[in-house]
Amino acid sequence: MAESIISIEELSKSFGDHEVLRKIDISVKKGEVICIVGSSGSGKSTLLRCINRLEHQTSGKILYHGKEIRDIQKEINKYRSQVGMVFQSFNLFNNMTVLDNCMCCTRKVLHLSKEEAFDRAITHLKKVGMAPYIHAKPAQLSGGQKQRVAIARALCMNPEVLLFDEPTSALDPEMVGEVLNVMKELAETGLTMIIVTHEMAFARDVSTRTVFMDKGYIVEDDSPDVIFTNPKNPRTREFLSRYLAG
Amino acid sequence: MAQPTNSLEWIVYLAENYSNMFIQGTLLTLYISILGTILGFILGYVSGIIQDIQIRPADNPVKKLLLRIIKIIFTVYVELFRGTPMIVQAMIVYYGILQAGLHISAVAAGILVTVLNTGAYMAETVRAGINSVDIGQREGALAMGMSPMKTMLYVILPQVLRNILPEMGNTFLTNLKMTSVLNVIAVNELFMAAKTVGANYYKYFEAFLVIAIIYFVLCFIFGRLFKLLEKKLEGKKDYVLAVEYMDAQ
Repeated sequence: MAESIISIEELSKSFGDHEVLRKIDISVKKGEVICIVGSSGSGKSTLLRCINRLEHQTSGKILYHGKEIRDIQKEINKYRSQVGMVFQSFNLFNNMTVLDNCMCCTRKVLHLSKEEAFDRAITHLKKVGMAPYIHAKPAQLSGGQKQRVAIARALCMNPEVLLFDEPTSALDPEMVGEVLNVMKELAETGLTMIIVTHEMAFARDVSTRTVFMDKGYIVEDDSPDVIFTNPKNPRTREFLSRYLAG
Repeated sequence: MAQPTNSLEWIVYLAENYSNMFIQGTLLTLYISILGTILGFILGYVSGIIQDIQIRPADNPVKKLLLRIIKIIFTVYVELFRGTPMIVQAMIVYYGILQAGLHISAVAAGILVTVLNTGAYMAETVRAGINSVDIGQREGALAMGMSPMKTMLYVILPQVLRNILPEMGNTFLTNLKMTSVLNVIAVNELFMAAKTVGANYYKYFEAFLVIAIIYFVLCFIFGRLFKLLEKKLEGKKDYVLAVEYMDAQ
């Protein structure tokens, strides 16, 4: 078995009295594509945000290559540059063009030269089919286009793991397809990904592991074959009843 | 030239014969308001950004304490200067410094008061401007490994600047007019010029009409300049497709 890139041990998170995550244990190995599914409010997004340190866990550990990330800004910055994130609402920088969005972080965080950053940006923008739009501002793009740029921007950092937080939930059905296709291609290149999604067919096709979450617990964590055809837990079965291959 | 007989003639008479005073006054008004506003903007931005810095539980105690103290100092400063009239501030600052045995010119005191006053208002405008930028912008930058400082500098501030530019324009126009209160500490700006000229003939109405026109023209011109700047910052409405990358997919 390959070594875990990220392992999470007994992670809990509360907002006040409200427990959102309860003793989560999960580890991510190189090349895995993990889809996290579950109803809204089950803690999927919070888990992802904890992994990227946008939320601070109440208790428990997040290990990156076996080492805990200390609460020091420098260490967090370095860790985040290797664990990319794609958001539901894209979060492209509104004040920059598509090209600058893709070059900003490689220049300011990885300190690449202008040429290197440009080459990387173009390479990844081509990958998502957005290279012709380098001069456009985010406000001039459709949702699907924005999300593809956001994916390219994250790829420019050469992340070890890429986190997707409901990347298609803000898109209309036509645009969902174009984003999912890009993600599928990424999965085929062997990129390690953790994807929170409501796209069940996509999760079944693309993931190497599917995780079902409910009320802050990981209820079931298995291969998509098992989760989508013969889930062991009745709650999983209930949630997936509409999608279960029949 | 004979003595003017009506108001219109008086206005022309005063404007012609005291043009030096009016020009001097205009230049000093511009000097104080431009310098005071620019420095005040810088003070306001610094203050607004400092108020935005998060104190994290993991920070070391010295840093936490220092941040708290600095934040309190800036809060007190903003409240004091927003809560008192500029004309009163001018008196207190000028005579306060003189009484402390230090030397300061009336113009320098006038600039200082303008800076402090502008900074206090801008601090609040900048703070609100930062809060109005969608939290996703910040999260997007942080999630890529940008430090909070770089996030502020490259992602948040450019958007704040664009959003609060109209308010910055307002502040400058206000300052242009507010320099008139500095006549209480004998700064020879426009208001003082009109007061002096008007007193010579007891023609206050006409003398002040002259500077009203000057104030208005200045404000009008700078108002337009700010509008232009706003347009420039807004950027182009359309974009050019990079055709060189069209086929390579």
